[in-house]
Amino acid sequence: MAADNSLDRESVLEALHEVIDPELGYNIVDLGLIYELEVEAGVIKITMTMTTPGCPAQDYIMSGVYERSTGLPGVSDVQINLVWLPAWSPRLMSPAAKAHLGIED
Amino acid sequence: MAVLSTRLSRWSLPMFACALVNLLAAQGLILAGITWPAQPVSAPGTLAAVHLLAIGWLLLLMLGALFQFVPVITSRPLVSQSMAFAALIALEIGLLGMVGGFFGIGAGSAPLAMALPAGGAAVFLGVMIACWNIGVPLLRARPLSLPGRMVLCGLAFLLLTVTLGLSFALALTAPAPERYLAPLLGGVGDHALAGLGGWFTLTAMGVSYKLLPMFMLAPEDRGIAGDAVHILATVGFALAVGAGLARLWSAAEPLAVAEFTGYAAITLAVIIYLWDIVRIYRTRKRTVIEAHNRTAVAAFGFLGLGAALAIGSLVAGRLGAGAPVIVFLIVFGWLGGLGLTQLYKIIPFLTWLQRYGSSLGRGAVPRVQDLVRERRSYPWFALYFLAVLLGAASVLSGHAAGFRPCVALVTVATFGIAIEYLRAWRAHYAQLRHIEAAAPPLRPNQRG
Repeated sequence: MAADNSLDRESVLEALHEVIDPELGYNIVDLGLIYELEVEAGVIKITMTMTTPGCPAQDYIMSGVYERSTGLPGVSDVQINLVWLPAWSPRLMSPAAKAHLGIED
Repeated sequence: MAVLSTRLSRWSLPMFACALVNLLAAQGLILAGITWPAQPVSAPGTLAAVHLLAIGWLLLLMLGALFQFVPVITSRPLVSQSMAFAALIALEIGLLGMVGGFFGIGAGSAPLAMALPAGGAAVFLGVMIACWNIGVPLLRARPLSLPGRMVLCGLAFLLLTVTLGLSFALALTAPAPERYLAPLLGGVGDHALAGLGGWFTLTAMGVSYKLLPMFMLAPEDRGIAGDAVHILATVGFALAVGAGLARLWSAAEPLAVAEFTGYAAITLAVIIYLWDIVRIYRTRKRTVIEAHNRTAVAAFGFLGLGAALAIGSLVAGRLGAGAPVIVFLIVFGWLGGLGLTQLYKIIPFLTWLQRYGSSLGRGAVPRVQDLVRERRSYPWFALYFLAVLLGAASVLSGHAAGFRPCVALVTVATFGIAIEYLRAWRAHYAQLRHIEAAAPPLRPNQRG
C-alpha cells in the first residue's frame, strides 16, 4: 500500500486522543502513555506504557491503539512496543489531564 | 491485534453475586433471631450465620477479587478460568452442606449432621482448587512484590483455617476419631483468628497496598513500613494461632509467652498499617478521589476500632466475652466494609472490560466512572457503617435488644448498595447519560 501523504506523527497522535484509559477516564496521549511514535512509509511504530504494571485494561488499551491506528488511511502496519521503563508517573500528564484529575503540578 | 483475555477473570462477577446473596442470607438469619446475641455463640443458627459470612460472603468476595487481582500483580494468567468456576461450585455446595449440618446437629438429626463434614470436605476441595489457581502464578512470579508476598502468606493461613475447620467438623460428627480430635474443639478462637486475621486481614492489607496507590496515584513503594507490616502480621498471626493451638495440649509457660508475643506483633502491624494507609491518602496525586476510596476510610477505622477493642479485652482478661462484638466489627466493619466499598469500583471496572473493552479504538466508549452515580451510593454506605457501629455499641452497652434493629438497617443498606452494583453491571447510568446527551437541548419556554 502506498504511503498516504497525510499520515504523519501529528495525525496519528490526534487519532490516539480517541483512545482512553478507562479507569482514569482520559485519553492516553494526554496521560503521557505514549513514549515514542514514529511514522515511516506507512508503518507506525509506537512505544508506550501503562499507568501501572499488569494493568487489567492493558490488553484492551493496546488493542484500542492498534485498531485506531490501523484505521488511518495509508497505514500498512502498526508495531506496538510496551515498556515499563521509564516507569509512568503523573508528571508525564499534560496540564489538561492533570487539571481533569485534580493533580497539582 | 486480538484482545488477550488473560487479564479478565470470567468468574469474578458471578462470585461477587453469590457472595452478596450469602451475605443477605446471613443477615436474614440474624434478623430471624436464631443467632447471637439472641442465641448463644455456639447455637446452630450462629454457626450457620458465621460460616455464611466467612465462606459465603468474605471468602467468595476475596477469591473473586484475587482471581482478577493476582494476574495484575504477577503479570501472569491464572492456571485456568475453569478452575475458578470449579472452586465456586465446590464452595457453594460445601457451604450449603455445612449450614444444613449445623442445623442437623441442633435438631439431633444424625443423617443431616453428616452434611457438616461432607460440606466441609467440599469447601476444603474448593479452597485447594482456588489456592492452586492463585498460588501457581504467584510462585512463578517470584521475586514477588509486597502485595504478592502478603497474598501468598494469606493463602497459607487459608489452608490452615480450612484444615482446622474440617477437623472440627469431624470431631463434632464422627464417633470414632472424636477422642483424638476432641481437644481441638477448644481451638475455635484460633480457627477464627487464622481465618479473619491470617487469611482475610493479611490478604486485604496486601491487596490494599496495590489498589489504593493505583487508584489514587500515590507512591506504590511502601518501603520499610510495608515490610514491617508484612513480617509483623505474618509472624504475629502464626505465633498467636500456633501457640494457641499448642496450648490445647500443653500448659507450658513459653507457649503463653509466644501467644502474647503474637498478639503484640499483630497490634504493632495494625498500627503501622493504618499509619501507612494515612500516608497513602496524604501523598496521593489525585486530589479528588472516587467514592470507593472515600468510603473505604470508614473500613480502616473499623479495623482500628476492632483491634483496640481486642487489645482492651485481652488486657482486661475478657477476650472471650468480648470476642463476638470484635468479630462483628471485623467481619461487618473492616472486612465486609472494605469489600463493599471496593466492589463499587471493581464491578464497574470488570463490567467496562466485558462490555466496552473490545470497542476501544473503534468508537466512543464510556469511562468506568460513567457506569456509576457516586452521590447515590454515599447515603447507603453511610447508613451501613453507622448501623454497624450502633449495632456493636448496643451490645457493648448491655442493650443487646438494639442489635437486631441495627442489623436490619445494615441489611437495608446492603440492598441499596447491591442495587447500585446491579445498575453499574447493567450499564444503567451509562445508557441514561447516552440518552441525555442525545436529547435536544430544552428551549427556555419548554418544561423539563
